[in-house]
Amino acid sequence: MKRHLLAATALLFATLAPASAETILNVGMAAADVGQIDPHRATSTQDKPVVSWMFNGLVRFKPGSASLEAMEPDLAESWEKSADGKTWTFKLRKGVKFHGDWGEMTADDVVYSLKRAGDPKTSSFAADYAVMETIEAVDPSTVRIVLKKPIPALLGLVANYHGGNIVSKKAAEALGADFRTKPVGTGPFQVVDYKSNESLTFAANPAYFRGVPKIDKIVYRFIPADAARDLAFTSGELDVVYGRQDQRWVERFQKEPHTVVEVVKPAELSVLHLNTAMKPLDDKRVREAVAHAIDRAQLASFKGATTAVPAVSVVPTGYLGTDEKAKLYDYDLAKAKALLKEAGHPDGVAIKAIQTSLPTMLASMQVAQAQLKKAGIDLQLEVVDHQSFHAQIRKDLSGAVYYAAARFPVADVYLKQFYHSAATVGTPTAVTNFSHCAAADAEIDAASIEVDPVKQKELWKTAQKKIIDEVCAVPLFEQLQVWARKDTVDYGYKFEGAIHLGPVITEASTKK
Amino acid sequence: MIRFVIKRLLLAIPTLWAVLTTVFLLVRVVPGDPTIVILGDQASAAARAELREKLGLAKPILAQYVDFMGQILTGDLGRSLATNRPIVDDVAAVLPYTIELTIASLIVGAVIGIPLGVWAAQSRDGFADWFARLFSLAGVSFPAFVSAILLLIVFAVELRWFPVISAPRTDALSERLAALVLPSLNLGLLMVAYVTRVTRSGMLKALGEDYTRTARSKGLAQRTIVWRHAFPNVLVPVVTVVGLYLGVLIGNAVLTEIVFNRPGIGKLIVTALNQRDYTLLQGLMVVSAFAIVVANILTDLTYGLVDPRVKTP
Amino acid sequence: MTQTPNTAARRAMRTPGLLLGVVLTVAMIAAALAAPWIAPFDPNEQDVLAILAAPDATHLLGADAFGRDVLSRILWGARISLYVGFLSTLAGVVAGTTVGVVAGYYGGLVDRIVVAATDVLLSFPQLIMGLLLVAVLGASIGNLVLAIAVTAAPAFIRMARGSTLAMRERDFVDACRSLGYSDLRIMFFHILPNILDELVVMASLWLASAIRTESTLAFIGLSVPPPTATWGGIVRDGFDNLLDGPWLALFPSLAILVVMIGLNLIGDGLRDATDPKGAQ
Repeated sequence: MKRHLLAATALLFATLAPASAETILNVGMAAADVGQIDPHRATSTQDKPVVSWMFNGLVRFKPGSASLEAMEPDLAESWEKSADGKTWTFKLRKGVKFHGDWGEMTADDVVYSLKRAGDPKTSSFAADYAVMETIEAVDPSTVRIVLKKPIPALLGLVANYHGGNIVSKKAAEALGADFRTKPVGTGPFQVVDYKSNESLTFAANPAYFRGVPKIDKIVYRFIPADAARDLAFTSGELDVVYGRQDQRWVERFQKEPHTVVEVVKPAELSVLHLNTAMKPLDDKRVREAVAHAIDRAQLASFKGATTAVPAVSVVPTGYLGTDEKAKLYDYDLAKAKALLKEAGHPDGVAIKAIQTSLPTMLASMQVAQAQLKKAGIDLQLEVVDHQSFHAQIRKDLSGAVYYAAARFPVADVYLKQFYHSAATVGTPTAVTNFSHCAAADAEIDAASIEVDPVKQKELWKTAQKKIIDEVCAVPLFEQLQVWARKDTVDYGYKFEGAIHLGPVITEASTKK
Repeated sequence: MIRFVIKRLLLAIPTLWAVLTTVFLLVRVVPGDPTIVILGDQASAAARAELREKLGLAKPILAQYVDFMGQILTGDLGRSLATNRPIVDDVAAVLPYTIELTIASLIVGAVIGIPLGVWAAQSRDGFADWFARLFSLAGVSFPAFVSAILLLIVFAVELRWFPVISAPRTDALSERLAALVLPSLNLGLLMVAYVTRVTRSGMLKALGEDYTRTARSKGLAQRTIVWRHAFPNVLVPVVTVVGLYLGVLIGNAVLTEIVFNRPGIGKLIVTALNQRDYTLLQGLMVVSAFAIVVANILTDLTYGLVDPRVKTP
Repeated sequence: MTQTPNTAARRAMRTPGLLLGVVLTVAMIAAALAAPWIAPFDPNEQDVLAILAAPDATHLLGADAFGRDVLSRILWGARISLYVGFLSTLAGVVAGTTVGVVAGYYGGLVDRIVVAATDVLLSFPQLIMGLLLVAVLGASIGNLVLAIAVTAAPAFIRMARGSTLAMRERDFVDACRSLGYSDLRIMFFHILPNILDELVVMASLWLASAIRTESTLAFIGLSVPPPTATWGGIVRDGFDNLLDGPWLALFPSLAILVVMIGLNLIGDGLRDATDPKGAQ
């Protein structure tokens, strides 16, 4: 009886559902809610893809690529640099309109945006822009940037990435704090609705300079539970879904009908930072023991060959300056045990680690925990929710910190944030140096002002060697991004890399 | 009577004040830091300290308390630390979902629970009685997340009758209803159990009373006796049990909202807690506590209306 | 009118539900206690080859995303879940009853404060209060017990206070007073025994509620840290991999359900048995 009633109701709903003429793209994301969609504040995985739909830079990463080499013009039509590499002049595209009624994009907006990106009060990426001496509008369609020193990847700073996204000056000034939830850019889509804990809705920008987008609307849904997201995708409620970075997930979804799974760069490097200022890790031998007890290959294979690779250095692979052949510690349990014994811990040693309850990170840490156990190292996890984790590891409370991150693809940024003594947690200038590492300050500093690219690379290589020798951190594995889509969705380009951690939906993207 | 009402309302004031203070204090001692959510994980310690200052988190606790009480008295819940949106807006955005779900599950509770209880009482120890007992046993025994997962597997994944994501994409009535069925069944299950039990025992008592016996001896139809004479007696206990378990309902709503991916106050509380969005968290706690205080008052008043012997404690 | 314990016991024996409840609960407790001997695997041992294995002869209930044996985890998880449930209920009952009896007995200002505090605590949804307390205290077994006890105590305060209030006016209390008995003696040797029946019934139902709260917190991710198995946590792990095998979530759910049904049957049975109006 009840069954029939339910069936009847379901049928009723099916017939009542209105046929929609709009093309709506439903995207499912693994997050409870949005973080920050102000482009100069957006640092979380769930925020970055969205920013790429709304904004442009002077240049852009080719859609579907994460490589600094594949830059193409975006808001700028052309650019030239002076002989000394310090002065850059950009010619802007004319007639580009901001979303809504915020008018035409001019050099003023570009100057405002880059200055905004360089101000720690309005930007999370201010440090990257400290290198800019002056930014000025020569005329309404020309911008000149003068650098304090030539840098290897200036185009990266003015690309559609982090601080390089161009916002509307008028809108930013008029909306004030509200700009955080209603940012205004020039991109193919504009944000029209935000439902807390539920979804963000974007509408096509009819005035987009590359043409009217073929998709009318994007609904970006926050679905934190893995299972619910997967189920929603298989039942057809989602067209694009954030995949689990996990071999089995990839294999399972490749078998789903009408489904395309894409595994893309950049890789997030997972590192176990060892607190060199805390017992028992203050003893280098104990740190070496940890390094020898970690089986990187097994970790990567646990994560899956399609989605993860063993780490190559203490900096992610493929970055400008990464030593792809750095000498890391071998997996050697006997040596690990011997080192522990030598350090006065014949019966093993206990290390306290504060760990997030976030499933993917926790799972990897549990594998590492099981590996270390074999060498007599008891990694005692104190699992807290993700925000407490972030707060506590920054208070220098954890012996070992598991951290996974991708940064701007130049070694400099990663080295400075994770291994330079100025970034040591607990100090006023702290960023994410959890290990109190100070082994390579000189090389890191020298490299960032070195003009000769060859010498610069050499300095970065030495820095990595010193950090590895000091065992500030044990690199574990690198994890690629995984996305799945229905075969009715065509991004309009080959999706191989996602500097924005997700697919860029462009004016050419379609859904049948 | 009016004096009773007024007295009951006045009594609620100190409770509300204490509730607000408790919320404020509890929220302040939750460890963590909202600045990382706002600034991102690459922010320096200095930038975070500056933001803390700006958000008023560096103020002395007493000053924060005064601000908080001042805001509440003017009906303002402040702004979310994470999104800077007025909390009243956030609450207004999810409250309809929560109210919708609560009412729907109460209806499920009443529509299934009352007939089941009445039926059971009439065939004491018979089939109906056993069935009702088993059903209500299941209702009180299922943790909300377990029943939610089962419903999800059966009706959304296997049979595909209802969506997996119970958040309506449009405001169309059909979508809203489709998104409501499974969550309200899940949440209503517990209500069914309580309502069945209360109805059953109330009916048993009423059917054993002299007046129903008299009615029966007068030859009135069983149906008339049951519904006209006995049934009205169980209404008050049913209302009471509903009021009493509203808190449990709100708690279970969290799980229901999580598993079915449905927006609502409960899920928002968990998010606010995870993001250390203190102002949002305290705003939501105030709202949910307020709802329970009001429900308690209403329950008491219903008592008072029906039973004139009830005096204020 | 008053019934002897004897008739109550006899009536209890006649209630099949109560018996069944006792059997289910005792079986589960026994399984938990025997876990070290009967669990086929170390609950935390990871086996890459068995990842998400379906139930078979080796892994009777399958293996989870780490290749850990689900049956072993359920058995070991029972220890934590039942332990936290029992201890927190005990703490809630003892603290709540003591406060309630004292408040009811003395009345006056103490009583008013207790009533007000209880009202405040009861103004929060139980689960949300638990959630917040665990977030404040941090997730460890001790803190979980404390947080769940705090959510359970108000109900016992209310009940004990109400009963004591009624009891205070009875003749035998006056008699005790005139005999010069101390307040403590009257409260705990004369009043308390009279409300014990009611207390036991309520406690058995709250025990179910406490175990449910623990598993719920674990499901949300706020319980004893991994790799320690708890029931709610195992369900959560299973839920995350629902597409790979519904059994991962179903078996631990079943374990919770069995205990819930067992305890509720006991609670209901006891209530019927001790109800002076007779088993209705």
